Amino acid sequence: MKMDLEQLRKTAAEVVARDDVKYLVGWKQGTYGYRVAPGFVEDAAGAAELIFSPLCTANLATYLTLVEELPIPRGQEPDDRKVAVMVKGCDSRAVTQLIVEKGIKKDEVVVIGCPCPGVVDPNLLAEKYPETEDQVEMKWNGEGFLLLRGGEETKIARDEVLAEKCRLCRYPNPVYSDIMLGDPVEPWETDEDKGVEEVEGKDVEERAEYWAEQFDKCVRCYSCRNVCPLCYCQDCVLDRLNPTWVNRAVNFSENTAFNIARAFHLGGRCIECGECERVCPANIPLGKINRKLAREVRDKYGFEPGVDPDAEPFQASFKPDDPEEFIL
Amino acid sequence: MTEKPKVGVYVCHCGINISSTVDVEAVAEFAGKLPDVKVAKTYSYMCSDPGQTLIKKDIEEHGLNRVVVASCSPRMHEPTFRKAISEAGVNPYFLEMANIREQCSWVHEEIEEGTAKAKKLVSASLAKVRLLEALETTEVDAEPAALIIGAGIAGIQAALDIADAGFKVYLVEKTPSVGGRMAQLDKTFPTLDCSACILTPKMVDAASHPNIELLTYSEVEEVTGFIGNFDVKVRKKARYVDFDKCTGCGDCAAECRVKDRFPSEFDQGMGKRSAIYLPFPQAVPAKYTIDAENCLYLSKGKCGKSPKCQDVCGAGAINFDQEDEMVEFKVGAIIVATGFDPFDASRKPEYGYDDYPNVITGMEMERLVSASGPTGGKIKVNNGEEEIEPKEVALIKCVGSRDASVGNEYCSRVCCMYVAKQAHLLRDKLPDANIRIYYMDVRAFGKGFEEFYDRVRRENVRYIRGNPSEIFKRGNKLVVKVEDTLNSRPLEDEVDLVVLGVGLEPRADMREIMELLRLSQSPDKFFLEAHPKLRPVDTATDGIFLAGCAQGPKDIPDTVAQAKGAAASAMIPLARGKVTINAQVAIVNEATCRGCGYCVNICPYTAIEMITINRFGNEVEVARVNEALCKGCGSCSAGCFSDSIQPKSFRDSQILPQIAALGVMR
Repeated sequence: MKMDLEQLRKTAAEVVARDDVKYLVGWKQGTYGYRVAPGFVEDAAGAAELIFSPLCTANLATYLTLVEELPIPRGQEPDDRKVAVMVKGCDSRAVTQLIVEKGIKKDEVVVIGCPCPGVVDPNLLAEKYPETEDQVEMKWNGEGFLLLRGGEETKIARDEVLAEKCRLCRYPNPVYSDIMLGDPVEPWETDEDKGVEEVEGKDVEERAEYWAEQFDKCVRCYSCRNVCPLCYCQDCVLDRLNPTWVNRAVNFSENTAFNIARAFHLGGRCIECGECERVCPANIPLGKINRKLAREVRDKYGFEPGVDPDAEPFQASFKPDDPEEFIL
Repeated sequence: MTEKPKVGVYVCHCGINISSTVDVEAVAEFAGKLPDVKVAKTYSYMCSDPGQTLIKKDIEEHGLNRVVVASCSPRMHEPTFRKAISEAGVNPYFLEMANIREQCSWVHEEIEEGTAKAKKLVSASLAKVRLLEALETTEVDAEPAALIIGAGIAGIQAALDIADAGFKVYLVEKTPSVGGRMAQLDKTFPTLDCSACILTPKMVDAASHPNIELLTYSEVEEVTGFIGNFDVKVRKKARYVDFDKCTGCGDCAAECRVKDRFPSEFDQGMGKRSAIYLPFPQAVPAKYTIDAENCLYLSKGKCGKSPKCQDVCGAGAINFDQEDEMVEFKVGAIIVATGFDPFDASRKPEYGYDDYPNVITGMEMERLVSASGPTGGKIKVNNGEEEIEPKEVALIKCVGSRDASVGNEYCSRVCCMYVAKQAHLLRDKLPDANIRIYYMDVRAFGKGFEEFYDRVRRENVRYIRGNPSEIFKRGNKLVVKVEDTLNSRPLEDEVDLVVLGVGLEPRADMREIMELLRLSQSPDKFFLEAHPKLRPVDTATDGIFLAGCAQGPKDIPDTVAQAKGAAASAMIPLARGKVTINAQVAIVNEATCRGCGYCVNICPYTAIEMITINRFGNEVEVARVNEALCKGCGSCSAGCFSDSIQPKSFRDSQILPQIAALGVMR
């Protein structure tokens, strides 16, 4: 890993010291074990707590759209200061897609890009190296990872704990940033449609059965929606009562309706950061649905979301030669 | 909406169209018991004068403030009933039509089913009509000028009619001369008038008319705005010849270093032209144009010591520094008269068009037989070995028409007659030749067509019913392989010349016009008219009209008739000086609009723009609808993340109760 923590903290301190920056969202050590928490930094002291490690799986772009637009009391000026955010390659695609959809504007954010050699899957890690209450440190170490806890150093092979989304990652370096930290990393070979083909390969009944089994596990906690950087409608279709597109009942029919609605609302928008799948308490392979839709959009329309901030939004653009053979 | 709804429900028999599968009396009785319904009646033809009077009288007597008409699709009669209730003092938008004909009686066979469905449809309309809002129409001024795209016979005729009526016309033509396809034809069926003789005077009139601004060698680049107020940008392509100085003498073309080297577009590639050229001798305007792609000086930067055209031009008209020029103007109406392309015979490889020089298309035949054509009207063909005068001639109809294998299921409507005409002209020039026509059917439907077809048959032209499967070479002859289907006899017919009666296709560049003007295509890929029977020259966009083969294959009289129709329609807003704006437009809820701009991209009418507003102290971007452009189609609403844009009269709050009343939603 070329980027050192000193440089990161120094840059963060400089950014938060700027007059036009309100605060910075970065990663900081969590309260125990492998946990990493989002850090909202307003000063140099806060900047000193920031980290960037293979444990920083969270996509912080989510926090950009959670800010409420409050009424400004008469006589007061609106706070037009920017929000700074630290992003990995995948996270930067979320920022880019938000810019495309005007969820945020370029001049409302300071994007600090962190080239990322791949993060760990905390569940895989905990399986092999059980989590303890102690705080741990983790580092990139050559091709693999280095786990530091209780004064002990453990070398872990990359393939052992690398997150699924990182195995498939084609954009380890931020595609959009205002400030770039460290040197870019070398992209690796990926088998990007892994998992999708496996599902596509099943015949229709098998596939239905497979998804019936998966959706049956859903507890409708909506974590996948809440963590998604691109699910930010103030009035979500899933919450709507009139009309009630999706009923609250937790059963196969409503679970399926919910999961299909979620996936389709992300068609041509999902940037494959894998957050939904990471937070799902029922371990539903949401990534496979998202990747299937992403692949359809890419193959049929040659569009990939979140790579060009000046692109036209996919669902709202039309080319006369768009394929339509699948329209009945 | 403070007033309590008092609804009148009117159920139409539509003769037996509705009443044969819907018990209309039962529907009215059912409706009469529904909440807020004051009166429910039936009548044999609700759209007729007595039917309308019935509604008006009830409005007066019962103080109705909402009306449901259960009859046909609103497409035809919604305006009728709007007008009727507004004459009785009710806002015209307090009307809802239940379509119990197209969507009910015509699709059901059992009266029980039909009646049950009609009741549901009426309940649904009733649920909506109570929630409708009063809307007002507005008017804006219209620019008294028209744009006509394409200067073939359709464009020229429409331009002349509008200009004669006293309005300004901008006639835009892509090629260097007006005239279009008709100028290429030799004689016209069935009267055998010389095409050029009847067309060229009109071409000259169009060029000299004080109200017509002719923009040749120009293309429309951008059209924005709406009926009455279109803003148009036209690119006048550089001719590299000073338009005012050029006298059309032709010295330049005679001296061009690459003289007669390039296939002439006008002669279908059979004749040759220079890099500086006049498309044909009667071209209007008679001004030369340099083909920049082939001109040595413009393409290579060097033409001998100095370009010869420049040296010989007495008027000093050659200007290699000329650049494209943009012209901008405003018009109230647009006529699209972009014409057609002949079917590309290469797409039927079994006919060997690409392989044998003596397989030619009908368009090429027109030039070959023309006295002004590349052979001066002599019928000479190359049989692969030598130039001969053909003794055996076969003409094949329906090449690229009525042929699903090339995607053209339609009949091109002109081939039967032009093939007959060409057989007649060939008979004139080759009195001893054997001429036969291979056909599927003979469609001689127009005035004088059947008589002409009879005449040609009497001139010893054989009609053989059969669609050739293949053309190949044997010795110095072409063999047409075909089954004579009337005699069930396979034939291998040896001939010297094959004329492929190619059909008409939409122009290859029509996509550009479609995108420019946001027009639609019908399944045959020609431009789609607003209604196949009652609005054949209108498009779905108000103020844009169609004329000629751009809308579908047509012969010259039909084209001229349609051009005159389009001109008359286009003149309505111009003469009135005002246009009425649709009231059922989309409206933005600025309090919830997120400013994503999806609707701006989605809107097919470019009716939405982003504006900045102050929302509780925050400067935010929101969408705004230009009501003059909006058609109320609702596409924006479907694409909106936050349901912040909705068409009036079709708001969620209005259509969801309507759907709920059908009993299909929870």
